[in-house]
Amino acid sequence: MLELTNLRKSYGPLTILDGVSLTVAEGEVVALIGRSGCGKSTLLRCINFLEDYDDGEIRLDGRRLWHREGSRSSLPRRDIERDRQRIGVVFQQYNLFPHMTALENVCLGPVHGMGVSRAEAEATGRRMLERVGLGERADFYPSQLSGGQMQRVAIARALAMKSRLLLLDEATSALDPELVAEVEDVIKALRAEGMAMVMVTHSMALAREAADRIAYMKGGRIVEIAPAAQLLDAPQAPGLRDFLKRIR
Amino acid sequence: MTQNDLIMLVRATLSTLYLAAGTIPCATALAALLVLLAISRHRALRWTYAGLRWLVRGTPLALLALLIYYALAGNGIAVPPVVAGILVLAIYFSILFAEVIRGALLAIPRTATDSALSLGLPRMATLTRVILPMLLRQGLPAYINVCVMAIKGSSVLSIIGVWELTYASREIIERNLEVFQVLSVAAVLYFLICFGADRCGRWAEARLARRGYQTQR
Repeated sequence: MLELTNLRKSYGPLTILDGVSLTVAEGEVVALIGRSGCGKSTLLRCINFLEDYDDGEIRLDGRRLWHREGSRSSLPRRDIERDRQRIGVVFQQYNLFPHMTALENVCLGPVHGMGVSRAEAEATGRRMLERVGLGERADFYPSQLSGGQMQRVAIARALAMKSRLLLLDEATSALDPELVAEVEDVIKALRAEGMAMVMVTHSMALAREAADRIAYMKGGRIVEIAPAAQLLDAPQAPGLRDFLKRIR
Repeated sequence: MTQNDLIMLVRATLSTLYLAAGTIPCATALAALLVLLAISRHRALRWTYAGLRWLVRGTPLALLALLIYYALAGNGIAVPPVVAGILVLAIYFSILFAEVIRGALLAIPRTATDSALSLGLPRMATLTRVILPMLLRQGLPAYINVCVMAIKGSSVLSIIGVWELTYASREIIERNLEVFQVLSVAAVLYFLICFGADRCGRWAEARLARRGYQTQR
């Protein structure tokens, strides 16, 4: 479904992504782990073109997505917008719009990005909020919600775009420990429903329970990628064992 | 002070309000254009903005008023004092408004634009649904502050012959020499306008706060 081939990116002399290749199958969940600054978040941001990359290819369902051709963009803006709508993103800091209710946050993309009618978007939006267990909070503003609830609204917002691929950038890192579980439960439920996900996480427990495969990144490369339990229980790559020991 | 003097001061107050009502929208529109320069990708435009900012900020309002007034008159452009006055205030306060808008823009977190991008929102929707509402909430207190400054700033225009509250006060004083009485009444009238503007601002802030945005009190 998603295919990254040899992605490279650097800021001046600093190499952020040093030839990353990764495939994510339909309904598969891949967790990206590694030390801070190893390029996990940048990789995620590149997939949705929030970040530029220098070289390589990103394909979604076989079609090549946006890339830079010299100083120009390979695709017209409208196409980029449409591709972005097919990939949901959940950020560490929830990134809800503070001046909109939960429901308005969820409906914004469908109504103003995809041209769905308001009535239809609201019906879908309410369903998505139900799905993350926040049906009765639809008319609350973000300032009236807890961190866990905000993050679940953010997930509902991504789901309302009917994306089949979800990118989660440390979705539980900013949450109080007692609120982590409610968001993790939603992530696990989505996996059970067959949503493909790429998630950056520092929680090995979440990676073990929710991911099919785990990719360990170091220095802008994927050093080891294996089924979740195998990678966590029998790490091969030098440095990974150390990393796991330190994080536990 | 006679009743007629009082009526004259009230009429002059309306004139001051009229100046403000002409100035604030013009200055705001000009400020919006200036902000485009300020955040432009092209260095030359950003520098142009910086140059204008230094120039206008570094010039006292009274001097700018005289400069523009004589420049217009010297080039044979005959405009009524009120128009010249609004022009002066609009130029002067546009930079201050532009700085307010620029500050509010800087205060909008990148996370908001990231979100809008990741939802695939078109530019226009991002601007009208995300940026502008957040801008309004961030910038409103400072914006109202500059509005009040603009109202009081109009008093300077008396030196180029714009008839407003300060000008009228001087006229009355020259006639009856009741300096403190007349100026006290003028001060109260200025206070009422500015207080009114402040209350409007607070009301707008409170309304926005009800719409989910907490502003510090």
